[in-house]
Parts: sequence; C-alpha cells; structure tokens
Amino acid sequence: MAFEVTVVNTGATIACAADQTVLEAAVGAGIDYPYTCATGNCAACISEVQAGAVSMLPYSDNALSAVQVGEGKVLACRARPLSDVAVVWLGRGRR
Amino acid sequence: MNEERAEACAVLLRQARAIVDADGTGEAALEKIKGLLVGLANRGEALFSKDDYAMPDAHGRNHVLALEDGDGMGLYLTIGLPGKEAAPHDHGIWCVNAAISGREVHRFYRRTDDGSREGYATVEEIGEVTVAPGQGMTMSDHAIHATAVVGDEPAIGLALYGYALVRFPAVVWFHPAFSSVRVGASRRAEAA
Repeated sequence: MAFEVTVVNTGATIACAADQTVLEAAVGAGIDYPYTCATGNCAACISEVQAGAVSMLPYSDNALSAVQVGEGKVLACRARPLSDVAVVWLGRGRR
Repeated sequence: MNEERAEACAVLLRQARAIVDADGTGEAALEKIKGLLVGLANRGEALFSKDDYAMPDAHGRNHVLALEDGDGMGLYLTIGLPGKEAAPHDHGIWCVNAAISGREVHRFYRRTDDGSREGYATVEEIGEVTVAPGQGMTMSDHAIHATAVVGDEPAIGLALYGYALVRFPAVVWFHPAFSSVRVGASRRAEAA
C-alpha cells in the first residue's frame, strides 16, 4: 500500500509505501530533503505535517521533544504515512 | 545523586584517566577501561536504581553521571527502548560501553569509498557484538558503528566517552541505503 506525500518545500508529490519513511521516499525520488542521522537522533529532518497523519519509529528525546510533538512536528526519517500527507521541512541539514 | 554512586563514578573517572595518561587510548588501554566499566555496571540496580533516572519520553535518553573538569571525559547512563537505533556513525572520539540491563547490538563498519565525492560514501559491515549485562565494548576514535536495542526490555547501560557529549566533535553519519554521508554540527566550538 502506498500513499501520496507532498513535500511542500518543493511542491513535489511522491509515492511513499506504508512501510517506508517520508525521508526514504523523498530521497529515493531525488528530493534534496535535509537529513543527517536519518535514525531519529538529530533534528536535521525536523518537519511539520500540514495534512494527513503519520506514525513514528523510535527516536531520541533530544531530537524531538514532547512539546514539539504536541505542535505537530515530526522527524521525516522516522515518519511513516498513515494517509496521504503534506509535509514541510523546517531546517536545512549540513553535508 | 546518592553519595555511593557519585563516589563510584568519580573513582571510575580517576581510574580511566590514569590508564589514558599512562597507556593512551589504544585498544589495550580501552580494554582495561572496559573491565572497570563492566565492573561498575555489574553493581546494577543497587547503584543505578531505575527510580533515580527518568525513562525517555520517546525512546532514547542520556543522564550525566560524572564529568571531568575542562575538556575531559564524560560518563553517562544511557537508556534506549526496544527498537531504538542509530545508523552507522563515527563520533570522532573513543568510547567504552557496558550494559546494566537489556541488550544493544553494535555493528561495526569500514568506509570503502575514497571520500572524494562530497556527500557520497559506501561502507561495509565488518563485525557485530551484542552488549548485554556482564559485557561491554570499546571503540577507537574513528570507528564506525551502528546500534539497535533488541529484545523486549530497555537497554540501560554506562557509556564513557573521551569528551563530554556537550563537547563532541562533528558526528559523521553513513547511510548505506542512500550511499550517502552527512556530517552533524560540531559542539566543540560552541562549548569552548
């Protein structure tokens, strides 16, 4: 099963499988999505879900706080779509 | 922090400093430190009661146990819930781990590309160790490892780093699925 993920920063809409993270789908589609650790330990891919819902794989407290979760922020590297999603990245990672 | 634990952690730091000053941070020296750290972790719940350390809001949290003055070592209690993971990374400084409870798998890698293409890297897995109670592991300054908490219970352990986490160098992250490498921000300048 796949959902549509719209990356608001670029305007691109891509397919994202239910067992795939938003970051994996975006990078796989050639989008220069910011990331560093890609496993929930930094906050380089911190994003906001503007529409739809995601589930989150395990991550560290210092990457995303409970307050940020309450504000609708997610880590794209940990977020799997539960529906069609619109997501915007909030920072830029360093290479 | 209770006085017995504080003293035990301070002693560990002093012993580790004596080893590093005498022998450096090569494999033999880190193995000596591992023996000390495993001994400390083996004191388990008696010294490191779960009641004294908040569990993660999410899935991973570190608690400071003891820090050397200046630009010295840092000793932490680490908590990872099942499923918590980290991609292959080089944190630029040696470390020694020992488990109190739970299990964490460390997979070791070596970089196989020549580093000439910005943002591109390939790595090859070269070994694996599971750190469970009674066991530990060591990593030299630029070793690359990935971690994953396995099993049904939280992995709680001790981690001794050559620098405090707030003074960490830039961590280099490798992503085999993307054939990419990304470098985090160094904390050394901002903490100076």
